Amino acid sequence: MKNVVLITASPKINEQSVSKEFLEMAGDQINSDLFSKSFIDVRKSFLTHKLTEDFETLAKADVMIISFPLYYFCMPGMLTRFLVDYHNYCTTSGNVKKPVKVYAIVNCGFPEPEINLEAVRVIKSFSQHLNAEFRFGVLIGGGPMMIAAKEAPFMKKTVHKTTEIAMNILNCLSLTLLPVITPIIRPKYVHGKSFLILLHSAWR
Amino acid sequence: MKALLISDQEYLTKTYQGLNDLTGKFLREKGFETELMELSAANLTFCMGCFGCWIKKPGECVINDRMAQINRSVMNSDLVIYLSPIIFGQFSPTFKNIIDRGLPNMLPFFETRPDGSTMHPPRYDTYPSQIIIGYGDEISDEDKQLFIDVTEKHRRNIEVLIYQEPTENTIKALNKMKLGRVGGRL
Repeated sequence: MKNVVLITASPKINEQSVSKEFLEMAGDQINSDLFSKSFIDVRKSFLTHKLTEDFETLAKADVMIISFPLYYFCMPGMLTRFLVDYHNYCTTSGNVKKPVKVYAIVNCGFPEPEINLEAVRVIKSFSQHLNAEFRFGVLIGGGPMMIAAKEAPFMKKTVHKTTEIAMNILNCLSLTLLPVITPIIRPKYVHGKSFLILLHSAWR
Repeated sequence: MKALLISDQEYLTKTYQGLNDLTGKFLREKGFETELMELSAANLTFCMGCFGCWIKKPGECVINDRMAQINRSVMNSDLVIYLSPIIFGQFSPTFKNIIDRGLPNMLPFFETRPDGSTMHPPRYDTYPSQIIIGYGDEISDEDKQLFIDVTEKHRRNIEVLIYQEPTENTIKALNKMKLGRVGGRL
């Protein structure tokens, strides 16, 4: 049975996490009869001092899906620390099972999904340093607004696209020869008054 | 003129020493009064994405740790040079953390830049010139390019360069940069 580890890396404490919601959307598509799945919350890992335990979980992964918000056009410092420490753990312990496939889901508050690209490239570089196989990253613009408005009729198409991408990730778990793509999610509501209303509701 | 040099205690390698010596000498020759600030992860909490620096205490982080002093020192300098290790093509964890926690220096609004992209506008009329110099040993060309792109593609008010042989090129590049306070650019 393939072992999928889903990692959420929102630095928020006791607040709704958009990255976690996107990760759960992907996780919901995973058939528990075919795949074993576990979740790691990086913030909790630091707060409860269970880094080593989580690194042991990661070391057994066939697939890592890392979901995080864009911070200053790259990954948050907290996730940077987690990945650097995990790389050090792998280097010193030699406790890595096999080549792992890595996916990234990056969301930003700005409407342009393309600005997430460098953050995904960092995950690709991390994968190379780990001798892992980087697959692709999903770039999501206007993430907080998308989650806040996910039930709205005009958002159905975007949410459906997100679910389709989650399914693509799952297809890649068993097939290694699919073309590597970079899905981009650009919600269509980010204009004028509606944008401001959604921004407000997302921050409540 | 006041210059602030910021480095990461975790990566004080031989390459770093060479870069620090070179930069320190350059700043002395330019007549800067220089302060060196060596960062440690131990006294810096991670950003918690609360936006308290915009909503509760505009212009200041709500976390009470060394970052308040770092932000004040940055904003009261004429020039800030970040000597950053290159890790996975971006900054070290501690450097990335202080960059994240520089958010109080921006305003929460969205503005459209001339190229059509969105950015938070500056909180202040002027800022110190900011230069990031990346260093490391056996860094791939891909990671070097990524390190430049992370800043250059998105932040027009910060210069970035890589410290590598021949090191004279670092001085040549610094000599071409503006070394004093500048207007806040989107």
